[in-house]
Amino acid sequence: MSFERDLLAILPRLRRFAVSLSRDRADGDDLCQATVERALKARDQWQPGTRLDSWMYRIMRNLWIDEARARQRAAKTFASEEAGENVGHAGDRDVEAHMALSDVDRAMQALPDEQREAIALVLVEGLSYREAAEILGVPMGTLTSRLVRGRGALLELMGEAA
Amino acid sequence: MSQIDEAMLIALVDGELDEVNRRRVERVVADDPALAERLEMHRSLRARLTGHYALVAEEPVPDRLRALLEESETVVPIARPAPRWRNWAMGGAIAASLVLGLGIGRMSGGDAGPIGMRNGVMVAQGPLAKALDTQLASAQQGAAIRIGLSFQRKGGGWCRSFDGAVAGVACRHGEGWQVQQALPGMWPGTEYRQASSADARVMATVDALIEGAPADAAGEKAAQAGGWR
Repeated sequence: MSFERDLLAILPRLRRFAVSLSRDRADGDDLCQATVERALKARDQWQPGTRLDSWMYRIMRNLWIDEARARQRAAKTFASEEAGENVGHAGDRDVEAHMALSDVDRAMQALPDEQREAIALVLVEGLSYREAAEILGVPMGTLTSRLVRGRGALLELMGEAA
Repeated sequence: MSQIDEAMLIALVDGELDEVNRRRVERVVADDPALAERLEMHRSLRARLTGHYALVAEEPVPDRLRALLEESETVVPIARPAPRWRNWAMGGAIAASLVLGLGIGRMSGGDAGPIGMRNGVMVAQGPLAKALDTQLASAQQGAAIRIGLSFQRKGGGWCRSFDGAVAGVACRHGEGWQVQQALPGMWPGTEYRQASSADARVMATVDALIEGAPADAAGEKAAQAGGWR
């Protein structure tokens, strides 16, 4: 058993989490790569015997939050009158990415970050409320209210077809 | 109606209620059609998200991610490189064929993934329905969906637990299988199986449903031969 092999075994699930957080596959895989790189560097901080997947989810989530904040800052700095729909994105790539997106992807992207990460951990990754709250570093009550609001928004965005 | 709020409803869907509260919510829902409809919407939303992203976990991991770990492993003293990647490549081929299968299911059925909705009820379809119908727990090496336990439920009827892209429990209903519970599965991470939260929750559902002991290999075979009646 090596650390790398353990990581490889959970990589399909990490990709799933990354894609559910990200705008598209390419962003998801970039996030996944950054997470693996960070984990390999920080491997001494992982305590054997604890859940490797939870540790990885936490690293990924923190990287994603950092990146989202950086993107918001960039958007504020560079936004012009044409910003509107394309805040922080390269236009061409958006069109391309949207073609491959289903209504589930689009609805997830429309959620505020804090709701999206809660939904991703519980509904996509299937974690318990306790596990998800620990990864996000929030009390259970906060997690459940985000789940309620996030689901309400998803149902609305996806319409009755859900 | 007032005594059950939205949070209780979704906690039921997420398998987060203890036995006492679960029964209480189910009782109230049974007498309240509006609440029952809301519950079904939440069940279906969960199944839809689970099924949608399950496809991502079935894809082969991109080479650049694999290479990252491969390179890192070779600089660690106890590295044992070659053989594992061959297995992994094979897993990728199986995953690819499964994705293809699900894709076809989507085109013809209009409903993505191994679980569909029929009259507001989650039902197994495609490869999952086939595995539930035919696959025996005693003979499923290399199968994309693994059958866990087969058992009789309280009040009669067969149920089977399963794990794959989606994990859960399904019970025989007429000619099909009603999915009682659907959680993101562990496959294809099966070579490294930690006790997952899905496992524990599937077992809790089995415990809540089961009458007596699960079927042994002979009992499972006989039930399969009898069309799970």
